[in-house]
Amino acid sequence: MKRAWPWAALLLALAFPFFVQGTSFAYLARVGGIVGLFMLLGLGLNFTLGCVGLFDLGYIAFYAIGAYAAAIAQRAGASAPAAIVLAVAAAAAARALLGVTILRLRGDYLAVVTMGFGEITRLSLNNLDAWTNGPKGLQLPPWRPLAFLSADPNVQYDLLIAAAVALACLVSRRLEDSRVGRAWVAIREDETAACLSGIPVRRYELLAFALSGAFAGLAGALFALWEQFVTPESFVFWESVLVVAIVVLGGMGSTAGVLLGAAVLSGVPLVLQATLSPEWINDRYLFFGLILVLVVLFRPQGLLPSARREAELSS
Amino acid sequence: MLVQQLLNALTLGAIYALIALGYTLVYGILAMINFAHSEVLMLGAFAAWALAGWAPAALGSGLWGAAGLLAAGMLGAGLVNVLIERLAYRRLRRAPRLAPLISAIGVSIVLQNAVFLWVSTQSLAFPQPAGTSAVSFLGASINGLQLAILGAALGLMILLHLFIARTRMGRAMRACADDLEAAKLMGVNADFVIAVTFFVGGALGGAAGVLYGMNYGSIKYNMGFLPGIKAFTAAVLGGIGSVRGAVLGGFLLGFLEVLAAGYIPNGAQWRDVVAFAALILVLLARPSGLLGERAAQKV
Amino acid sequence: MSYDREMSFSRSRAFFFAAVALSACGPKEKVVKIAVAVPLTGDMGTEGQGIRRAVELAVEQANAAKRFPYKLAAAPYDDRADPKEAVNVANLIASDRQVVAVIGPYNSGCAIPAGKVYARAPVAMISPTATNPEVTVQQLSKDWIGPRVVFRVAPTDDVQSAYAAEYIFRRLGKRRMAVLHDKTPYGQGLAEQFQKAFGALGGRILSVDGISVGDKDFKALLTRIKADSGRPEGLYFGGLYAEAGLLLKQMRELGLDDPFVFVSGDGAKTPTLFDVSGDAADGAYFSIFGVPVEELPGAGRFVADYKARWGAQSLKPFDHFGYEAAQIIFDALERSGPDRERVLAQLRQTRHQGVLGLTVFDEKGDTLNKIVSMTRARAKDRSFQMVR
Repeated sequence: MKRAWPWAALLLALAFPFFVQGTSFAYLARVGGIVGLFMLLGLGLNFTLGCVGLFDLGYIAFYAIGAYAAAIAQRAGASAPAAIVLAVAAAAAARALLGVTILRLRGDYLAVVTMGFGEITRLSLNNLDAWTNGPKGLQLPPWRPLAFLSADPNVQYDLLIAAAVALACLVSRRLEDSRVGRAWVAIREDETAACLSGIPVRRYELLAFALSGAFAGLAGALFALWEQFVTPESFVFWESVLVVAIVVLGGMGSTAGVLLGAAVLSGVPLVLQATLSPEWINDRYLFFGLILVLVVLFRPQGLLPSARREAELSS
Repeated sequence: MLVQQLLNALTLGAIYALIALGYTLVYGILAMINFAHSEVLMLGAFAAWALAGWAPAALGSGLWGAAGLLAAGMLGAGLVNVLIERLAYRRLRRAPRLAPLISAIGVSIVLQNAVFLWVSTQSLAFPQPAGTSAVSFLGASINGLQLAILGAALGLMILLHLFIARTRMGRAMRACADDLEAAKLMGVNADFVIAVTFFVGGALGGAAGVLYGMNYGSIKYNMGFLPGIKAFTAAVLGGIGSVRGAVLGGFLLGFLEVLAAGYIPNGAQWRDVVAFAALILVLLARPSGLLGERAAQKV
Repeated sequence: MSYDREMSFSRSRAFFFAAVALSACGPKEKVVKIAVAVPLTGDMGTEGQGIRRAVELAVEQANAAKRFPYKLAAAPYDDRADPKEAVNVANLIASDRQVVAVIGPYNSGCAIPAGKVYARAPVAMISPTATNPEVTVQQLSKDWIGPRVVFRVAPTDDVQSAYAAEYIFRRLGKRRMAVLHDKTPYGQGLAEQFQKAFGALGGRILSVDGISVGDKDFKALLTRIKADSGRPEGLYFGGLYAEAGLLLKQMRELGLDDPFVFVSGDGAKTPTLFDVSGDAADGAYFSIFGVPVEELPGAGRFVADYKARWGAQSLKPFDHFGYEAAQIIFDALERSGPDRERVLAQLRQTRHQGVLGLTVFDEKGDTLNKIVSMTRARAKDRSFQMVR
């Protein structure tokens, strides 16, 4: 195993915001944080989509639940760390609960039900004005735990998110090569066979759902605390599609692939925004769509497919 | 009020059903969700709009003109769909199951932005056939246009049924949907059948786009998105891959939405919530949709 | 203050990058940028593109008139009406020292978090359209970091709808109204304030419903409103022209004709409304902020110039707000020179007579201009006539 490069990448991720802060490239700290949030989301969705193979088009709902749980808790007087824990728990519980309800469903039926759940969540946040303040959104008091390192909140949250991504990678990698990971692969390949081999299929599927909910909740809470503001406009269907694209394009079931997918898909629009001249700015998403099509045509198995998957595909 | 709501539901349902048919036909053969279908329907409407702008006099404003627009929309959308299949999906036929989905999302983004760059983001007036004033019937004012739309949609569905059930090509399509490999071995030109399927599905989507534009009198570059995901929902509700299921699902969704908006106090803002909640309940009871035969494989 | 230390510490590095950039470009005319951060694509792209065109027109005019000893440029950024992207864009703009002021964001959901970023820069931001009071009120919070940089030329929700309520109750003599809104901060804000004002006058609100932006079919809802046992005499709608046009069209199809009135706000008052509604909009009422642009001498010229530059069809409901924001920034620039902090200081002193009437900002950055007028749509020439 090449042990060195993940640590080098982490070190680079932690150092680079300090290098750019205050320069005319300061927005890169923001870019890094946003890419990091999508890495968290991608790794979270990877448990259910990549590892167990459950197709999901409403994942952003749990990001929203995490963000709103953190916002409501913090506004009610909870400390920010407590709000984060609560958000993670709420999102994990909600996703496990949804999992219990809909695990009978498969394939595209699962996709459309999760899409429905995502829309129900967004519309409920928009319509339940008494709790969520509806379309006007909720303001949060600032939380700056790393103020001693940098005055720039973008740098602070970049570091926090990088730490969260590192943690998420660690969890993902450990699980991938563990009994749990092997059980997931067995379920993905043949559920009936897995069941007959004595794998408690439902329990492992629920674990995948709860974990992926927890990751989304963590990402949502960090997002809410960073922006100090949540509104339903942030949690639209398109974001769910983007996270699915991150996992598929990166390489389903591959931690490194998901990280790369997140960097490419959430980074490209930001880079285009910064580099396109006024005459071309309207064409930004045209280019984005073209890149998406071309990448998938030439790398249908993903940018960095997991070794296990690649072996399956070539056989 | 009841008669009017019934007609509202039927019109909405008929349009959903037409779009859902496009999803289900493609799914039946390739087992993929054609995510770009909502853009195909939008392009159908824009093809008709372009024709109306180019030759307004030749078309006239009556029902024959409307039929011409419908034909233009169907032709344009069908061709676009065939082109999409050739460029963005064919290479991926043996790829992992979700790869074509991502390609479809990319195509959808490209098409939407291309139209936006072509005509700008604004709503454009779409020609509505003249002579469709309100008729009074059972105490409700029935809109002639709505009746015409309903008639056109039902007519297309019957034509599709005849095409699939009675023609040689229809038989080939059914064979491919049953088992693509086996059909190939029996000498069916699978590439051609798939192209025809995409054309037919796209044409139905284009028809829906034109009828949608006529019904509401305006079109916009992102008009396909909402009806697209609704119709996708309808197709799954009915059992994706099943033609009758798509029609049933479309009408059912139309009724659910009208019921929610029309009869629940403050229901309009909960309309989609009601529709999706009902969908979830139906699928929990029947995990492969109302008329679906088998659950799809995992990804 | 650690905040200031941070700025000076980092500036030396900024100069290093700037020097690298300059050496690559060679000698050039000095350019001062005004950022336009609005949705250019996505659902609200239509309105954002209109504002972009208005600002570009203003900049072209200022350059043509040689109003400044340097070249002005409008720098457009696309936030897609997504709060996350608006903050991304704000960070990008904040780190571009050529930008002296920002016009945008379009919607309140974007303006609230983006404002916090602009305050830290600090660079002044004028939202042409955000109506949620929180956009400026948040600056009074103890949590606010940096100076107060947020201004807006649009009035908050209560100003417009209170006038509409009064007009409907007194002038039109209607007592029973149904209310609809599009579940956006703008539309819902208008509708909520309308309910309050109309109720306070003694009128009755029979029903309140929310719809979704992008919905096309309101027949089920309108059929129910028509059958309401309270016999509504009109419909107040908080939202934009796309939905307003469809509502009008479907209302008429269902036989909700005169004397049943339709009243809405400035977000629906645009010639494009007639593309959606056809003749059905005829006779509908739209309250607008200020007096109709057609009635102000300066504003009439703006409309003419805009149509000459961008075509007759391209004018959108909030374009004159964008144009006005640009003019207000020009005024401040003229007095201050191209420097962010000095532009900000001068903006607070604004006293601008333009297409919206007289704009003076209060201590929060809200405009003190609270003049509202009522207009009535006329389908035969796609115009809006002022009514008293």
